[in-house]
Amino acid sequence: MSKNKKRMIKDGILQGITYLSSTVSLITLLAIVLFVFGRGYKLLNFDLIVENFESQGYVADLFDDFIFCDCPATIDLSDDFYYSEKWGIALSDGTDLLGKNIIEIEYIHPDSPFKMVQDKGIGEEPIILRTDYDIIRIAFEDYPTALSRYGAKNMIDSLNANNSIREIEFRTKGGGVRGSILTTIYLIGMTLMIALPIGVGAAIYLNEYAPINRITKLMRSLIETLTGVPSIIYGLMGLAIFVPLTVNLTSATGGNLISGALTLAVILMPVIIRTTEESLKVVPDEYRQASLAVGANKTQTTFKVVLPSALPGILTATLLAIGRIIGESAALVFAIGTSIKDDVSLTGKSTTLAVHIWAMMTDEPANIELSATIAIIIIFIVVILNIIIKIISSRYLKQKMGASS
Amino acid sequence: MNCSIEKNIIVENLNLYYGTKQALFNIDMEIPRNKVTALIGPSGCGKSTFLRSINRMNDLIPKCRIDGSITYCGENIYGQGMDVIDLRRKVGMVFQKPNPFPMSIFENVAYGLRCQGVKDKIELQKTVKKALVDAALYDEVKDRLKENALSLSGGQQQRLCIARAIALSPDVILMDEPTSALDPIATAKIEDLINELKKDYTIIIVTHNMQQALRISDFTAFFLMGELMEFDETSKIFSHPKHQKTEDYITGRFG
Amino acid sequence: MPDTLNYYQKNNSKKGLIIDRIAKNIFLSMAILSSSFIIIIAGIILVRGIIPFTTDNLGIGRVSLLRFLTGNTWLIGQTFASNLYSIGFIIASTLFITILSLLISFPVGVLTALFIAKVAPPSLAKILRTVVETLASIPSIVFGLFGAGVILKIVYDFSALIGYQSKGGNSILSVVIVLALMTIPTITTISEVAIRSVDQSIERGSLALGASKTQTNFKVVLSSAKSGIFTAAILGIGRSLGEATAVSLVAGGRRSGFSFDLLDTTSTLTTIMLEGLKETTGIDYDIRFSVGLVLMVVILLTNLLLNAVKRRVGVVNVKE
Repeated sequence: MSKNKKRMIKDGILQGITYLSSTVSLITLLAIVLFVFGRGYKLLNFDLIVENFESQGYVADLFDDFIFCDCPATIDLSDDFYYSEKWGIALSDGTDLLGKNIIEIEYIHPDSPFKMVQDKGIGEEPIILRTDYDIIRIAFEDYPTALSRYGAKNMIDSLNANNSIREIEFRTKGGGVRGSILTTIYLIGMTLMIALPIGVGAAIYLNEYAPINRITKLMRSLIETLTGVPSIIYGLMGLAIFVPLTVNLTSATGGNLISGALTLAVILMPVIIRTTEESLKVVPDEYRQASLAVGANKTQTTFKVVLPSALPGILTATLLAIGRIIGESAALVFAIGTSIKDDVSLTGKSTTLAVHIWAMMTDEPANIELSATIAIIIIFIVVILNIIIKIISSRYLKQKMGASS
Repeated sequence: MNCSIEKNIIVENLNLYYGTKQALFNIDMEIPRNKVTALIGPSGCGKSTFLRSINRMNDLIPKCRIDGSITYCGENIYGQGMDVIDLRRKVGMVFQKPNPFPMSIFENVAYGLRCQGVKDKIELQKTVKKALVDAALYDEVKDRLKENALSLSGGQQQRLCIARAIALSPDVILMDEPTSALDPIATAKIEDLINELKKDYTIIIVTHNMQQALRISDFTAFFLMGELMEFDETSKIFSHPKHQKTEDYITGRFG
Repeated sequence: MPDTLNYYQKNNSKKGLIIDRIAKNIFLSMAILSSSFIIIIAGIILVRGIIPFTTDNLGIGRVSLLRFLTGNTWLIGQTFASNLYSIGFIIASTLFITILSLLISFPVGVLTALFIAKVAPPSLAKILRTVVETLASIPSIVFGLFGAGVILKIVYDFSALIGYQSKGGNSILSVVIVLALMTIPTITTISEVAIRSVDQSIERGSLALGASKTQTNFKVVLSSAKSGIFTAAILGIGRSLGEATAVSLVAGGRRSGFSFDLLDTTSTLTTIMLEGLKETTGIDYDIRFSVGLVLMVVILLTNLLLNAVKRRVGVVNVKE
């Protein structure tokens, strides 16, 4: 009996460690999700996606025919906001990422003269002030300029003491990821345009045409070897081949979207070929024979019968590829570069969301908040892609099982 | 446990269900000690299911339900407080397809002992050697005990599986068509072995081969559609079957 | 191909045959293109990577290959006008880190796989499988961010607790943890497939010998699946060796000296490649290819070694 007890204890311990091990994955996932949401949720809003990363500074003046507001705030303002009834604007103290004091616009009354200001630069365009802009300074005639480092209270007091201003300098919020999102989307489109035809074509050759011999075997193993190459090595290849190529052929001066897309296309090649081939393999031979038997030639058979049946597989390959492009960082650091840009062009130097994170994290000081926000976006997209892939494969599987039974 | 009695496995009113489907109907049977009992019958008649219920391997199948009792050494194996692991040690099993573990020949035979917590090296070596000798395999493998068991031939693998079972010095050995995957020579060796083993063990064997049942068994049970049609001494079953169905089956008219 | 098909193909119009031939050649050229990339990659890295050892690098002087591979100082060349590039200490720390992270991720990954495949009740297994799949699809940069935001702090606090002033938590330990967390899902997924494909008859054989379910899982199932589990380990090692951006966020960057101090900063072959990014010509540009070459050789050698070990361990295909 004691022998049995000893064994049961031993079994219990062994089983316990499998439970423990499994919790590691669970805890890791939870910790990552909690971390990115905890740090990133503050910045997560729709504006982030459409805003520029660089904040833009403006110097502006009030319109000449402005009238004072002299109105109480229409909403409840927090205690640490300073509100001027005369001007209808509320300001507060804040700090930027570098820890410097800034003054944030918190509220503008609809009748406030600050609702819309006049750009003093070229064109004298009207600008609508928004509540997430920072005020750098407000200058007056014959009165000390209210600088952001004197605080929000000083600025409101100065405003109340004056009846007009000389000029106001402010800047847009910045920190948006529009450029990186656009770049990522461009890259996905371009990469797939290059990689899909070649990958699917290669898969068709290997599965439909290739004779069974050593050369075919060699081709397969060469393609398979690509999967084991770390992405930073692909980056080096992009740097050594595609960057000079595009610099010579286009107006690019360094890493650019085209060289990035070409590099990504090579990275994705094995994934696309393997996934496509797997779906080609399950197309029953009867389909091909039936098509050939009604007088279609092999090309027609391939395009009209084989490829359509393999479509779910190709779609899966595409989604896997998109996931990989969104997550790829090391290769793109070399093949595109790390400059975060708001203007996106094919030969320009903007970068993707993943590299955006890396660039901000290797900068001093690291911007963990915005990085975490981008991470939320990335994780969200990747999870959605995963779900779609699962739905496709389970549907496809059902269809196939239905066909075979 | 009182195992000295003549009939050490007594099956009473055994019914077995897979979900809602009943696979065995009211089996009553007394299996004699140190004899070979053959279970015969057409495919799907429940003979393998019955065999697996003797060492409770059916427990592994979800939704499998049993009522009635099987008494082994005076104790109902489906009763409360029955140690399944202990039962399986005493009632060994050999499967249709040889299934050696992917480890050395020695470790295969020592496996059950190690699971029982035997650590003493000398004892292990002694027991493994004896089991291999008893399974008539020792001479063929004595120089390569450290080699992987999967390098053995099919017949050798099956004898290894027998050695693996008898290393635990069981009372009963259940064999589920142990020769169906083997060639005639390997089959003959196994049959010889069974004849040797019955001196020390109660053997219950499922077979599709009438000749084999006739050659090796002392008692034969004929199963049909989940029912035990007939159970008697082998010579009687094959010479004077009581049921027409039994006669039809053993003369090859169906099955 | 059956004769009937050839018959029908022969019956096709000539135009069809020409189209077929063109299509076949297009597909063939795509296949050739795809399979030549690996050769192109190896070729370009080799050609660029040997430049520092074969030329005088615009007057700086030839880099000694032996010292490059064994030395313990990495100086940025053009700023110091030096050819003192050595990555011996970096190779050592890279291997050290890879082994340590595998020591964590391998047992955890394999046991998780065993749990999902054999121990857990079906509903729990399904949840965990989803967890592992999600974790596997999270890009490495997010793991790096997590490392920089969470693990660095934990390691820093831990070092402070034992009276060690670590550099913001940037350390071998942080790298090891980040890599281990990243490779666990890889190892789990592949091991689970291997474990689930173990022949049921072997399990039954063990149970019939009076082994308990747990004994069967640990003694028979794992050893039957060892071929697949070994493959999982090889892939895990590959991923650890090649990971760059995530590691660079927690390594701290070390420029000289062999160090195996868990709490001290470190560099790996990949992080050193990410330094000096701005260069476009000269030795600082070329030397990254030399490091890349070393990385590829290290990966190749590890794979060869592990595959040899895999064969030596006597892995036999149990499914016949």
